[in-house]
This record gives sequence, C-alpha cells and structure tokens, in this order.
Amino acid sequence: MNIRKLAWKNLFRRKSRAVFTGLGIFLGIGTFVALASLTAQMEQAVQDKLDRFGANILITPRTEQLTLGFGDISLGGTQVAHSRLTAADEKAIRGIEMKERLRSVVPFFLAAADASGKNIVWMGIPAMEIAAARPWWKISGSPIREKGEILLGSEAAAALDKGPGGTVVSGGRTFRVTGVLHPTGEKEDGMVIAALGDVQSLGRNPGGVTFFEVAALCKDCPVEDIVAQIGGALPGARVSAIRQVVESRKAAVDQFRRLGIGVSSIVLAIGGLMVFVTVMGSVQERTKEIGVLRAVGFRRKAILSLLFWETGWISLLSSASGALAGLAAALLVAPHFGVEQAGVASSPALLGVALGMGLGLFGTIPPARRAAALSPTEAIRSL
Amino acid sequence: MAAFIRLENVSMLYGNNGTRAVALRDVSLSIEAGEYVVITGESGAGKSTLLTILGGLQVPSSGAVLMKGVDLSSLSADRLADFRRETIGFIFQAYHLLPYLTARENVMVPMSPLRTSAREKAGRANELLTSVGLSGKEERLPSELSGGECQRVAIARALVHDPPVLLADEPTGNLDSSTGEQILDLFSGLHKRGKTVLMVTHNRANLFRATRAIRLQDGLVAKDDPLMAPYQAL
Repeated sequence: MNIRKLAWKNLFRRKSRAVFTGLGIFLGIGTFVALASLTAQMEQAVQDKLDRFGANILITPRTEQLTLGFGDISLGGTQVAHSRLTAADEKAIRGIEMKERLRSVVPFFLAAADASGKNIVWMGIPAMEIAAARPWWKISGSPIREKGEILLGSEAAAALDKGPGGTVVSGGRTFRVTGVLHPTGEKEDGMVIAALGDVQSLGRNPGGVTFFEVAALCKDCPVEDIVAQIGGALPGARVSAIRQVVESRKAAVDQFRRLGIGVSSIVLAIGGLMVFVTVMGSVQERTKEIGVLRAVGFRRKAILSLLFWETGWISLLSSASGALAGLAAALLVAPHFGVEQAGVASSPALLGVALGMGLGLFGTIPPARRAAALSPTEAIRSL
Repeated sequence: MAAFIRLENVSMLYGNNGTRAVALRDVSLSIEAGEYVVITGESGAGKSTLLTILGGLQVPSSGAVLMKGVDLSSLSADRLADFRRETIGFIFQAYHLLPYLTARENVMVPMSPLRTSAREKAGRANELLTSVGLSGKEERLPSELSGGECQRVAIARALVHDPPVLLADEPTGNLDSSTGEQILDLFSGLHKRGKTVLMVTHNRANLFRATRAIRLQDGLVAKDDPLMAPYQAL
C-alpha cells in the first residue's frame, strides 16, 4: 500500500464522481483535439484549395510610361517595355533558390488578331495548363487539348455567333471551337483562348510571352521572398505578388485557427471548472477521512500527493480517451468541412493529453491545499 | 524524573466572544509511562477535547502539553504529524476504517507515505492482524467484518508503528458488552506489554482494568484517583 495505490483504490470507490470529474476533462480535451485536428486539416485543405485556385505572383515585362507631346500640346502617352519575356525565361524562374515552393509557372501570350472577320484579342496558354491556371472556368463543351482548337469567351462567342463544334478562321488557318466559357466577369469573356503556339504564330512572335503567372506554395513563407528571388533571376521583368490572393489566403487560415482556439479555450475552461468543483466536493465529502489520515501521521504533503495522484489518474485516463475520441470525431466530420483527405494529426492529441493532465492537476491545487490545511480535529468531529 | 506526559495549566475555549464555550479550564496533569488511564465524565465535560490535545491533534488556547519532554506547541504541523505517527496510536469509537480497503490495507494505511517495500508493509500488517485475532480475515472489507472485528482492525492500525502511547475514544461505545469485553482484553494485553493507554469512556465498567481514573466535570478535573491495583474497580 502506497499513496498511488490508495488514490487508485479510492477512484473505484467513488466511480460516479471519478467519471464526472473525468467527463469534464474528456469533453474539454476531446473538443480541443477535435477542433485542433480539424483546424489543422482545414488549414491544409484551404491552403491546397487556394493554391489550386490560381496564381499569386505575376511576371510582366518592365515598362515605362512615355509622354508624347509637342511643346504644350499633349498627344497622350504610351508604355514602352524595356525588355520582352520569352519562353526561355521559364527556366530561369524555375531555377530560383526556393524552386520547391513553385507549384506552377504558366506563360501567357496575348495578341490581337482577326477571327472570322472580327478583330479580337487572342489569349495563348499551354493547353494542358488551362485546368491548373484557371480552375474556376466553366466550359460548355470541352477544353482545348491540341493545336487548332479554341475556346471562346462568352462575349466573343456571342459576337462571332459560334458555339462548340463551330469553326473560326484566322491568319489563313481554321480553328475548331471545342467549348464556350461561362461568363466570368473578366476580360477573357471577350477573348479567344487557344494553344500558346497558335497565338504566338498569329502574333508572329514565336517563343514570345506576354506574362507569366506563378503559383507559389507559401503557407509559412513570405511570398515577398519568392518575388525577390524571381526578380533577381529576371532583372528586366516586373515581378509582383497578387496581394489580394495572399491576404485572403492568410485571413481564411487565421480565421479557422482563431475559431479553434476560441472554442477550445471555452470548453477547456469549463472542463477545468468541473475538475475544481468535483475535487472540492470530494474534499468536502472526505473531510473525516482526511482527518483520520492526518491523525495516523500523514503529513500535509502526503494529503496533497494523495489528491494529486487521484486527479492525475483521472486526468490521464480521461484526457487520453478524450484525445482518441477527438481524433475520431475529427476524422469523421472532416469530409463535411471540405477536407478531402482526412488524416490523423498526432501532435494535437499529444498536446491534448498534456493539456488534460495540466488542467486536472491545476484544478486540483485549491481543493488540495484546502484539504492539506484541514486540522485533524476539525476533520474528525466525532473524536 | 519528568513525567511521560504533562499538561500545564491547559485551557481550551471554542467560539468567539458571543458564543464562547470553555471545554477545559486550567487543567494540569502528569501521566507516567505505562499507566492505563481512563477518562470519564458527562457529555460536554471536555473528555474528547482533552484527548485531542494530548494527541497533538489540536493546540490548547493556553497552557502547555509536553510528551517525552517535547512541547507539542513548538512543533510545526508536519513535525507534529511525524510525532503522532511515531508516538501515538489513535483508536476511534466509529473505527474510521477506509471502507474501500481490505483489513490488511487499512492496517497498512499509516505506512503509505513511507518508502518501505510493499512486502514488508504487508508482513507487518499480517503480523498485527494475527496479534488482534484476525488471522484469515486480512482480505475482508470493513463491510464484511463485525463491529468488534472492525475495532480490532483499528487497533492493529494504531499499533503499526509500535507507538508507546495509545489514545482511545470510546473504543467499545459501538459494541455489545461481550465484544466490548474482548476489545478491553486487547487493551489490557497492550498495557501489560508496556503501552501507555489513555481511554475516554462513559462506561464505568471500563475502570476495572485501569490503573488510574480521571473524572472531568465542566472542563475541570473533578477527580483523579490512582487505583489500588490494576484491573480493580474504583
């Protein structure tokens, strides 16, 4: 018989109280682990989705505004590019130090060209990159897969009066319309989208690139670092982070994290209060027993130790089972929160067990101190 | 030679000025080692208060308690706990056994904070249970024992550290007369083995075994009679 065994035996004597004490920790840690695990998975899912959503870095040729005029007469101005981008620049972009962070580098080429007698802007993009670069496009028909195929923006389709299966003639070549974009509210509504090589030919600029869109995975890294590195690799280019995308990504992730922390804190506080109340009640109920222990020579430290062992056992068992339940709950509900590949996050579970132990022991401090301070005579009224 | 236990002008007051109750008034006593003292008196006479003060369970409002030359009021709470463990064995009227522990485990409770091996503790508990006539009942819970057997377990628990002093509060108060006699026989045996026994009781029949009887009345020592011989009526 030692203090540990005495504490363990007492738990079985007061099963319902032990269960009630443990329930607070179980629910608190279960909720914490479920939310922490879910938040972590949602963060990752949001990150993945936002990364899939599109680019966050735009690379264009460096330009300068040139004002045209004669004396006081202004003839407007024009932008003059210092240099041009080419397909070869993609290699330089992919060669930066943080190249592992680059999810996609997509070249675009814009050219104004004839389309069945109407002057329209053509957008060239590698056919296989369309899904990655513009995942939000909805197409009536099918996307382009090879040269000679085109997609029409909704306004362009209306202007040309063409639909899937139709043809458009430009530069002496006939292009087959594979699909029409649903309205996007963007400039591509009025464009013809074709394979990069086709538009470069129409614009008589083989290998030419108007701009690059880069999608960088930047969960924990400042996108500015990647921008700086690309700028260093392409001195003649203007490299800019699309701030809105970066900020909205960060805001969304932060919101999930704040929600998790807030809810967990409330539930943990309630759990701690339950421990405090039940252990205080237990001390009250066991006043006489504590008095007997003091009378037979238990020091105050031994009384403290007894109560801490009791709560320690409860905390360990309930926080471990709460952590398991939390993981299971997170696994079950994750698909309903947009997590496609739900997994088990061990770190919230381990943190939860440690937190549960801490919570239980912390909640025991005031009642244990009260118990240890009980005078043996006060405790044993019948003596 | 100094007395084994000495009370010097001990008074004990409960409550505040509005509801003040005097439990002991200026009590002075000396008890020698090996005495078997029975403390009697009406309810409210101060018997239990005297016992708790003698056992270092509470500090008197005034006066001093010396045991083996040690002033109990000079000890810290933890030193006092050590002193109780080493010097005093308590036996309560209601046994105060822990209901979720077996007889053996109850006897082992005072040894729980010690670093002695479990085997050694169990051996000591078995030995004591045998000495109080409970051999073969070591694994029984208090609910599976009679009142007399529970009191025997409590006596075994009080003896676990082999204290020189036993303080008993109405140890036969919850028992029928036959079982009470058996328990008193145990106390007589312990006294014969050199223990100092101080027993609070209402029952004058308990006086037959004592060497001294102290009668309290309204917090004062009304009578303090050394008996002619042990185990003789007052």
